[in-house]
Amino acid sequence: MSESAASATRTTLNFRAAVLGWILPGLGHASLGDRRRGLLVGGGVLGLFLGGLLIGGLDVVDRREDHLWFLAQAGAGPVAWVADYANANLVASGRFGELLEAPHPNPMAPRGTVVEVSSLKSLAHPNEMGTLFAAMAGLMNVVAVLDAMSRRPAEAAS
Amino acid sequence: MNALSGMLAWIPVIEPMPGVERWWMLLVVPLSFGIALVYKALRMPKLEHVWRATGVMTVQILLGLFGLALAFLVLVQIVVPMLPAD
Repeated sequence: MSESAASATRTTLNFRAAVLGWILPGLGHASLGDRRRGLLVGGGVLGLFLGGLLIGGLDVVDRREDHLWFLAQAGAGPVAWVADYANANLVASGRFGELLEAPHPNPMAPRGTVVEVSSLKSLAHPNEMGTLFAAMAGLMNVVAVLDAMSRRPAEAAS
Repeated sequence: MNALSGMLAWIPVIEPMPGVERWWMLLVVPLSFGIALVYKALRMPKLEHVWRATGVMTVQILLGLFGLALAFLVLVQIVVPMLPAD
């Protein structure tokens, strides 16, 4: 392969677009001049994330309790941290709803140990589906961020 | 009436949506649609037919899930009971 051909196929990574795409889903593509693609990506990712919050409530984003799920949800950007902060301060703290005593979730905990749980905590299918929606939003945004990072502005604008 | 009063008392985002337990399986439709929309928005060189392609992919995902459910139903309800117990 000649040097010119090699340089033509070489992909330059656009970290600015990647960071913008993580901060606000779709902004990475919009910054490359492809606003419609950015709107579709942003609408899809944020639609999934907000859909998850609507289905299961703020409790579906919980950095402490559902750490592995949060790793996936964090791909959606700062909105995941905002949701986690709101969950910790509005729901888990008892500011909304009330705190109820419940058996300790760890079966190895001493018998009779109780923990305080919000009455607004989502359970079963609403919690599972809401968590899945938010996690899929994060994972799809990771794909979008990687795409924005490797997409050339000229290619995006065409 | 109970469903209506439940919806009226619902605080969106703060608390879980009431009544989801009854129709939670249908949530796979918007989930598939959202995934298909982002995927097609990223993969299509031109976005003129993005909504049609998204609809097609949504149906493909749903058919795939339905096929998997059917396969597991046959496995669990028909094949496994035919196996010798000992």
